[in-house]
Amino acid sequence: MATICVFLCKCFGEIDHIIDFDLLSKELSKDSSVVQISTVDSLCLETDIEKTISRITESNSDRVLIAACSILSRGNLVVESLIKEGVEWHKIGLVDIREGCAWIHANDPEGATQKALHIIKMGIVALRHKEMSDDMSVTVNPSALVLGAGPAGLAAAVSLAKMRYEVSILERSNAPGGMLRLISRCYPDNQDSSDKMAPYIREVENNPLITFYPQSKIISIEGDTGNFTVHFSSQEKDSSIQTGVIIVATGAKIFFPTGLYGYGKIKNVITQMEFERQLLKGSLKTEKTVFIQCVGARDSGRPYCSTICCPTSLKNAMRIIDDVPGGSVFILHRGIMTPGHTLEKYYRDTLSRGVQLIRFEEEYPPRIIGDDHVESVEVYDAITGMTRKIETDMVVLSTPLVPNNDNVEMARMLDIEVDRYGFFSEIYPMHPLETRRDGIFICGSARWPVASDQAMLQGKAAAMKAVSYLRQSHLVASTLSRVPGSKLGHASVDPDACTGCGNCVAACPFNACHLEKMENRYISIVNMMKCKACGNCVSVCPNGSIQIPEHNYRMVGGMIQRAF
Amino acid sequence: MLYQRKRDQLLMNGFEHIQNTGRNAVLVVGGGVAGIAASLDLADAGQSVHLVENDGHLGGQVSKLDKLYPTDHCAFCPLWTDVKKCVDHPLITVYTLSKIKELKQEKGKYSALILKHPHYIDEKKCIFCGRCVEECPVNAICSGWEHAYPPSFVIDEALCTKCGNCEKVCPSAAINMELKEEEIDLLVSDVIWATGFKEADLSHLKELGSGTHPDIMTSLEFEDWTAESGDNRGNIVKRSDHAVPATIAFIQCAGARDLRMIPSCSAVCCMHALKQAEWVKRRNKRIDCYIFYTDLRTVGRDYYRYSLRDFEDANIKLVRGRPGLIHPLPGGNGVAVQFENTITQKKEIRKFDIVILNGNIQPSLIQLRPAQSGNTAVPQTDKEGFVIEESGETSCFACGFGLEPADVAESVIQASAAAMKVMNKESDQR
Amino acid sequence: MNQPKILIFACKWCGLIGADAAGKKKLSLSPLFRVIPMECASLVETDAILRALAGGIDGVAVLGCHIGGCRYNNANHTSIKRLELLQNLLDTTGIGSSRLLLSFGTAHEDYQFEEIIKNFFDELISLPPLDSWLSPFGVTH
Repeated sequence: MATICVFLCKCFGEIDHIIDFDLLSKELSKDSSVVQISTVDSLCLETDIEKTISRITESNSDRVLIAACSILSRGNLVVESLIKEGVEWHKIGLVDIREGCAWIHANDPEGATQKALHIIKMGIVALRHKEMSDDMSVTVNPSALVLGAGPAGLAAAVSLAKMRYEVSILERSNAPGGMLRLISRCYPDNQDSSDKMAPYIREVENNPLITFYPQSKIISIEGDTGNFTVHFSSQEKDSSIQTGVIIVATGAKIFFPTGLYGYGKIKNVITQMEFERQLLKGSLKTEKTVFIQCVGARDSGRPYCSTICCPTSLKNAMRIIDDVPGGSVFILHRGIMTPGHTLEKYYRDTLSRGVQLIRFEEEYPPRIIGDDHVESVEVYDAITGMTRKIETDMVVLSTPLVPNNDNVEMARMLDIEVDRYGFFSEIYPMHPLETRRDGIFICGSARWPVASDQAMLQGKAAAMKAVSYLRQSHLVASTLSRVPGSKLGHASVDPDACTGCGNCVAACPFNACHLEKMENRYISIVNMMKCKACGNCVSVCPNGSIQIPEHNYRMVGGMIQRAF
Repeated sequence: MLYQRKRDQLLMNGFEHIQNTGRNAVLVVGGGVAGIAASLDLADAGQSVHLVENDGHLGGQVSKLDKLYPTDHCAFCPLWTDVKKCVDHPLITVYTLSKIKELKQEKGKYSALILKHPHYIDEKKCIFCGRCVEECPVNAICSGWEHAYPPSFVIDEALCTKCGNCEKVCPSAAINMELKEEEIDLLVSDVIWATGFKEADLSHLKELGSGTHPDIMTSLEFEDWTAESGDNRGNIVKRSDHAVPATIAFIQCAGARDLRMIPSCSAVCCMHALKQAEWVKRRNKRIDCYIFYTDLRTVGRDYYRYSLRDFEDANIKLVRGRPGLIHPLPGGNGVAVQFENTITQKKEIRKFDIVILNGNIQPSLIQLRPAQSGNTAVPQTDKEGFVIEESGETSCFACGFGLEPADVAESVIQASAAAMKVMNKESDQR
Repeated sequence: MNQPKILIFACKWCGLIGADAAGKKKLSLSPLFRVIPMECASLVETDAILRALAGGIDGVAVLGCHIGGCRYNNANHTSIKRLELLQNLLDTTGIGSSRLLLSFGTAHEDYQFEEIIKNFFDELISLPPLDSWLSPFGVTH
């Protein structure tokens, strides 16, 4: 049976002036597994650690239980300093008899002492049954794969190459640039989009560390964080690469508003992208233009704001004012979305140039007048309360960016998630470019509609996150995305008991379980690189064959028994 | 045998693989979310970092918030783990209660002089017992941020009489009133400015009524006032008489999008007001909330849906209009708000029990005076205080609110991008 | 009548933070509750709760993070559904759903923790005592 050395920390009188330590020592010595009980004034100051270690070695025990303050205050420090000194972490137990006992029950010392006794007994039984889970490590392939050669993908790839990592870029079309190739100029500084991309494309062409694969399509992805194998075809040739991390920068696509505002039937009702094409060709065919915002966006079908449409309309409106003598522009909007410093200034500048803005409400959208050719637009101006009729020769519809058709399939291959709209989703807002799978990052419009400047920033940011993985020679599974102080390993399956029901496969939020056929039945296998030991699988397992060794059922059962 | 030295068992905070690249350190100014994210990214890539923070703990403005949008969850969990990683990281040196006294450019590097104010209570030794708080005759000691890591008490110097009572009772000898300010000389290769925002004074915008009634407050003051672990225990009550209010008005763009004061849009306030209104409704369904907005800027992921959420209950009313007058009612009970609902073109004057002014946040750097002698290398900022980034031999990068008004997700993205720009600088200069 | 005994399964994040912060502020509660910290509330097994109720514990509380706030990719969503089903089951067996308190998010700060546990104690006092019977491992009180 395991032998335990117990430390009772007085915390300079904070604990022992409520809790009777003599009673604790007396009761605890009745437990045959407890071989030594040390009562100390403090455990967490730097001067204490040596004494603690020597007492542990003297006791010749194989576990140590510390009854002190909470793990969220100084208890953590004690455990970590013991670990630094070489004590194995799964043999250390920490229970809280300060915040959770002495301090909160200061008005009932007897009750608090009883509770402290039970807390320590619970800690002892938990420590006795605590086991260590398996671990694994993966050799890191110090190269990266970027999916998509739009602004986000290019920025990510070039940043990594400048840090001397090998990068491969898979691009669906035949040339880099993404959606920027379809746009004439970028806001807010009116930079020509090809000038914007030029330094990145040059780097892709000249840097030997970057390999560009045009016309490529992913076939399948195997492997784990640090060492993925991606099978793909490029220019009709099948190939595969090994890579350490994957950065998803596949962008988004334009929504075509067939049926809205006469699009598809009435001539000269075009989308913003078609307008950009006219600008690119230099064949601007309009004098009196009306832009309509939120076409197919911020409505019940697509209840989101696509971020870029308002500034794009402002940019194109100013272009018309600049390039077309006598040109006039109306923008019909439901709120101009230009948050921040740069964009708000852009908005103010547009207003001062004579672009006219009319606000309409969702319930009363503008009406296109004209049979096969647009003649005018009638709009209920929400601010003045008057209906206005605007003569126009072209109506430009601002439509949102929508997720690519293959996002769901891509997410399945990568084993990441998409949100309710179909864009790739991040794991939490404070880590906005990371997905539920370590080593796979999302950036640019694949993640959420953004303009090219922001997309490039996200590409660089995703590359920076990738570097912390690529720098390591090995990745140990139990350290992946773990919170500091989390001493849990991974779930582990008892292959004899597992019935292959698949509950754990369905319940795991990280998709870490899968069923494999062994002889004549199925059993569940846990992928340690994905498992974060949250315990959902344990709760849905019908016979307890999957457990987290550091928090197994014997520990929980024992703690419940000794609770009172 | 319990006590065994096993090298791989020591891998518990995951720092063992980090090797210093040996380059000069990077200085990160500001320890909020952006500063922390930039520091961790640089440090995980082997770059040593000096992180300087004015306050007594890391976490910045986000640590002072009770809840974050769009998760409606507390700000503690996600922030705490990153703060702990920063403090424990072998390549990050954290200087709290510190300021930059001087920053000079020298031959492609920066020489920085940090003025480090002493922590009279050593956070490495404070056991949080609170005896010093009880013994202090002038109530100068309190816990800075409830969830600071490591948790410790802080002495407010403005009130401290240096009587020494606290020092005598501290059981772990954590208090030393003799500590002096330190000046620390650093040579760094780059600086990342992550100085965040501060509130601007609204009292000269007379129509907003700021300062004329206790129930006219800014949104950050309201956040503090209704914090779950604050003095009101999460209850929504008036500041004037602690009664439960019947109506609350959120005035958006207070001071912002206003050429008299802050021409920019502060980006985060619309969602912030929606979040606060949501929480008011969660705590007390009967309180009527009105949000007076100009454009409801809900641009990020799920933000537009967030703004639609509970309005069917008609407890949160969105009124498009910027109130022309906010004035305490005679007798002091309530505040009158005069506004035009621009969608219905109706002018109204209504009584509200609490009025929250939202929008008066500007970059902290707006107070910087670059012409001071010795400070030749402070960042170039425009009229509104936003940093103008420069790259070149001595680069100056910025992230977070100091660069562009941004919420948490955006700030963290900018921070990682700034870190990458630093790492790429060498190859860019070739 | 004996004072009721409560067993709290608290997730190490929101649940434990509230309990901890209540201790730091030196609030005051009856000592008849025990806390078992778990990494995530989804680790709380249904049979552990049933075992606790069968072994003489009068009420079980599960404290977890807000919806949208779980750091294990919303693992708490499935656990809330599971535990609500368990509450329904407890109603049908005569033990009563009021003996299982689910608090996902509201107990993450000090005063809220104190209020929730106080209310739970009051609720349990008003219920008739639960007959205890021997659990498979034997009951040691």
